[in-house]
Amino acid sequence: MADAVGITVEDVSFGYPGRPVLAGVELRVEPGELTALVGLNGCGKSTLLRLVAGLLRPASGRVLLGEDDLARLSRRATARRVALLHQSAPAVPGLTVRQLVRQGRYAARGPLGMLRAGEDATVARALADAGVTDWADRPVDALSGGERQRVRLAMALAQDTRVLLLDEPTTYLDLRHQLEVLQTVVRLREERGLTVLMVLHDLAHAARFAERIVALRGGVVVADGAPKEVVTPAFLAEVLDVVGRVGVDPEGGWPVCYPDHPAVGSKR
Amino acid sequence: MTATVNRRFLLVGAVLLAAVCAQVLAGRALSPPAVWDVLTGGGDHTDRHVFFQLRVPRLLVALGAGACLGVAGLVLQSALRNPLAGPEVTGVTPGAVLGAVTATGLGLAGWDSPAAVVLAATIGGFAGAGLLWLLAGRQRSDPAGTAVYGVLVSAVLGGLTAMVLLVAPGELGSVVQWLVGSTEGRVWHHWHLMWPWALAWAVLAWLLAGPLTLLRCGDEQAAALGLAADRARALALLCAVALTAAAVSAVGALGFVGLLIPHVAIAVFGADLRVTLPGAALLGATVVCVADALAQSLARALALLLDAGRLTLPVGAVTSFLGAALLLLAVRRTPDREY
Repeated sequence: MADAVGITVEDVSFGYPGRPVLAGVELRVEPGELTALVGLNGCGKSTLLRLVAGLLRPASGRVLLGEDDLARLSRRATARRVALLHQSAPAVPGLTVRQLVRQGRYAARGPLGMLRAGEDATVARALADAGVTDWADRPVDALSGGERQRVRLAMALAQDTRVLLLDEPTTYLDLRHQLEVLQTVVRLREERGLTVLMVLHDLAHAARFAERIVALRGGVVVADGAPKEVVTPAFLAEVLDVVGRVGVDPEGGWPVCYPDHPAVGSKR
Repeated sequence: MTATVNRRFLLVGAVLLAAVCAQVLAGRALSPPAVWDVLTGGGDHTDRHVFFQLRVPRLLVALGAGACLGVAGLVLQSALRNPLAGPEVTGVTPGAVLGAVTATGLGLAGWDSPAAVVLAATIGGFAGAGLLWLLAGRQRSDPAGTAVYGVLVSAVLGGLTAMVLLVAPGELGSVVQWLVGSTEGRVWHHWHLMWPWALAWAVLAWLLAGPLTLLRCGDEQAAALGLAADRARALALLCAVALTAAAVSAVGALGFVGLLIPHVAIAVFGADLRVTLPGAALLGATVVCVADALAQSLARALALLLDAGRLTLPVGAVTSFLGAALLLLAVRRTPDREY
C-alpha cells in the first residue's frame, strides 16, 4: 500500500464575474482521512471539490495534493493523483459497464495510450469494489440511475488514485444503496489508505461515516472538526438554516439530528 | 464481448466483399464473363485496360471516400457531442467543395499539383465550419439549432460553388460531379491524390480514439479523467476536416454518408472508438461501394428502359436517397433519445 496523500487548500478564493463563490478557504485533509463537506445549496461545496480535482483554477491561493501544487500538474498528471465522482453525468449510449469503467484508465495509459499492462486487473478490481462485476457486460444505458451511480464510482476507482473526491455520491440512490456506497467508501479508505473528501447533503450520513465535518457558508469555512464536537443545535442553525435538536446514537455514539423546521428570517 | 465484435467485423467484411464484387461487375463497358477472363489472366487488351485503368481505380476511390467520410462523421459527432453533426451539415463538405473548385478554377491547383486540391479542400472545409461556428453563435451547444444553420451554410456554399462552376467550366468538371458526388470516370490520378493524405489522417484519428471516447462522456467527465478536452477536440476537428477534404477532392460532396454511418457504426460496434473507428471506415466503404454498384446498375436499367444509349447516375444521388431513407428510419425509431 502506497503512502496516503493529504489535501491542502491554502487561502483559496474563486468566483465568476459579479459572483464570488469562495473567499479565502483554508482546509487540510490529513492523509487517509474521511472528511465530509456540508452546507446549503450554492455555498461553494461542489466548487471547492472541483478546485481540489483541478477542474477549476483558484483565482488566488493554492491547492496541494501531498507536496504537489495542482497548478503545476498537467491534466493527465492530476487525474493520476485524484479521482472525482460527479454528481451527475450525461448518458453515453453504446458503452458497456466494463468499457465505461475502463475509461478511468485514460490518464494511466500515457500520452499515446500505450501503457496498458495490468489494466484489466485494475478494472476488474474497480468493478468488484463498487459491486458491479455482475453487470460488467451490460450496456450502461440499460441500468437504473442508482446502478449507474455505482458504475461511475467504479470508473473513479479505476483511476487508482490516492485521493478520492465524491460529489453527493448518494443522490438518486435509495437508502439501502446509499448505505452500500458509503460503506464501500469507508472500507476502501481503510484497505487502501485513500484520502476521501465528499460532499454530502444528508447530515445523518456525514455524522455517522465521516471522521471530520467541514461546513461551508457563503464561501467560507464556518465549522471544522469531529462530528461529535461540530454537530450541535447552533451548527444546524448557522450552517443549514434549520432549527433542531441533536442527540447521540445509543449504539454508535455519533450525533443524531432531529431537524424541526426551517429557521425563520435568517438570510443566506 | 470481443468475440461478438469480431463476429460483427467478419459480417461487415463479408458484406463489403459482396459489395466489391457487385461494384466490379456492375459497370457498363465490361460484361461479367469478360471480368472473369481478365481476373483469370485472360481477356484482350481493351478489356484489360478497362478493368485495370478504369474499374479498379473507381472501386478504390469509392471505398476510400466512403471510409474517409465514415470516420470523419464519427470523429465530428464524438468531438462535438452532437448526433446531428456530419461533414455535410456542419459546412465542412460544402466548404471543401468550394475550396477545391475555386483553387482549380483560379489555376492554383490542378492535376499537375494534386496535393494543392486536397489542401484547398481542407482550407475550404475549415472556412465552411468556421462560417457555421460564427453563424450558430450562442446556439452552438444545441444540436438541432446547429443543424439548421448547417443546412443554411450548405445551401449558400453550394450556390457559390455552382456559380464558380458555371462561370469557369472546362477542366473543373460538372456541377453534378462536385455538388452531388460521383465516382464516374475516377482513375488512378484520383486514387493517388486521395490515399496518402487519407491514410495519414486516419492514423491520427485512430490515435485519438481514446480521447474521443472520453469526449463522448462530456467535457467535465473527460477532464476529470485526465483529458485536456479542448486540445483533443481541436485535433479531432482537424482530422475530420482533412478526411472530408480527401473524400471531396476525389468524388465531390457525397451526401449523408458522413452523417449516417456513425449512427450505424455505434449501433453495430458500440461506443468504444478504438473498435468503432475502424468499424465506421469499413461501413462507410461498404455503403459507398454498394451505392456505386446500385448507381451503375440503375443507370443501365434506365438506359434500357428509356432507350437511351448512355446514361449515368451519380453515386451521390444514390447515397443521398439511401441516407435520407435510413435517417428517417433512425429518427422515427429513437424518438426522445438523450445523447
